[in-house]
Amino acid sequence: MAAVLPVGSDLSGAMNRFLKTILEKDIVDAVLMPMKVPSGDSFAWIIMSDSSIVDDAEAMAPVMPVQGARALRSLTRKGEGSIRVLALMRPCEIRAAIELSKLGQVKTENLILAAYDCPGAVPMDSFVSDPSSGEDLFRKMLAGEDVSAGEVKPSCTSCVEFSMTDADLHFGHFGLGGTEVLLIPGSPKGMEILEALELPADRETSIWDEAVRKRREKQVASRDAAFEETGENIRGVQGMLNVFADCISCRNCRAACPICYCRLCHFESETAKQDPNSRLDSAVTRGGISLPADRMLFHTGRMTHMSLSCVSCGQCSDACPADIPVAQVFSFVADRTQKAFEYSAGRNDGDPLPLRSFMKSELSGIHEMVSDAEPGGHAHE
Amino acid sequence: MPDFHPRIIGFLCNWCTYAAADLAGSSKLELPPEFTVIRVMCSSRIDHNLILSTFYRGADGILVAGCHPGDCHYGEGNYYARRRFALLKKVMETLDLEPERLELRWVSAAEGNRYAEVVNEFTDRIRKLGPSPIRTSTRL
Repeated sequence: MAAVLPVGSDLSGAMNRFLKTILEKDIVDAVLMPMKVPSGDSFAWIIMSDSSIVDDAEAMAPVMPVQGARALRSLTRKGEGSIRVLALMRPCEIRAAIELSKLGQVKTENLILAAYDCPGAVPMDSFVSDPSSGEDLFRKMLAGEDVSAGEVKPSCTSCVEFSMTDADLHFGHFGLGGTEVLLIPGSPKGMEILEALELPADRETSIWDEAVRKRREKQVASRDAAFEETGENIRGVQGMLNVFADCISCRNCRAACPICYCRLCHFESETAKQDPNSRLDSAVTRGGISLPADRMLFHTGRMTHMSLSCVSCGQCSDACPADIPVAQVFSFVADRTQKAFEYSAGRNDGDPLPLRSFMKSELSGIHEMVSDAEPGGHAHE
Repeated sequence: MPDFHPRIIGFLCNWCTYAAADLAGSSKLELPPEFTVIRVMCSSRIDHNLILSTFYRGADGILVAGCHPGDCHYGEGNYYARRRFALLKKVMETLDLEPERLELRWVSAAEGNRYAEVVNEFTDRIRKLGPSPIRTSTRL
């Protein structure tokens, strides 16, 4: 069940008015949402307590310059603040924020996480070079019109988590023809907001449910096709080398990643530095090595480090100057590793991070040796 | 490949498997010369980058071995090690990086014979697999 928000002429405007109202009525103390930068070619996260500023903000921005979870982390990494902030973000940003809260990097106590039905994002490079076409394209995407897959951020074309996250409040608009928005509470915090506004959550959501289901079906098919292609491309050492051949070791993928929060990454640490002679030995025994060293190690290492929390937001691909399909590879690997632990990144369902927990009897299928060595199952000589 | 001598690294937990290696040695059991032991305090000390860098630096096979589940010197280390290992194995499998070159086994301090069996069996497996494609690639 959901409350209804009437939409006048534009969807984003109606959401803006809602946010303005909750600020004016002191239901929250501040709102964190995107605002167009003065040059007009990008958007920035602005936390605003003055409701008049909300008019200049954009509830749903066409691009994703900084992953929202990173904005939330910069706000709350040293603890929750004393004021209540509502953050309106894309579902993948909310999911990354939930992962970061499990990792102790975002404190959600005084945050109200709000998400909306996301039609996808426009790639950053094409938006920067032509903002007005980018905005037109995004309007079409919002209206559900067909746009060519090449114009949309690649990870968005295969995103299956574009709606209903574990946010406190969700703005559902798919399938409603742009005439109204459903306010769907996802937690007691979300419910409190609706109650404070005296908005009864009494509307059936079946039309919206159906629209989301249909879209998901389509997205699942396109994701499966993308995974199949990626899986073929990265097979074996040669496949990895081909995919990452253009990598210039700038490590922008890591910098843009919401999950990679480590202050000192292993790959910048003393441990990762190698004695010159050991590198030279490698070059001599193999016949040659590529420098700067450890390019492949960096990517495979990052896969093992963050794939369990990867929300497939695609920021890594957007940040890559060499146009490597980093996000497609990482999403593919993340899908496999998360399935192996029956874990789904970004869910707030009480599931602990897989590497922070264990069961005494598990994973017997992973390889033959563990099962024969369960407690009590081995004979001491 | 008759004259192929693999490089195999064994990360052994100090409290169980390293002691088992010691026992195997003093029992004069035959052990393969290709197997290099590195002692670690616990199997959970092994992080992914340690395994991956060992492969990238030229190992043909890696064995991680520690106390049986339930017998960890520190209580629960090997349970966490098992999870990490499962993740790493999954990544290697997904990328088709020959996950069979990586193995996790439990060998207690009393199991000198089992240690020799495990090490010989694993070494045979790697001999049959031949050199690791990571080791032989010139563009890494």
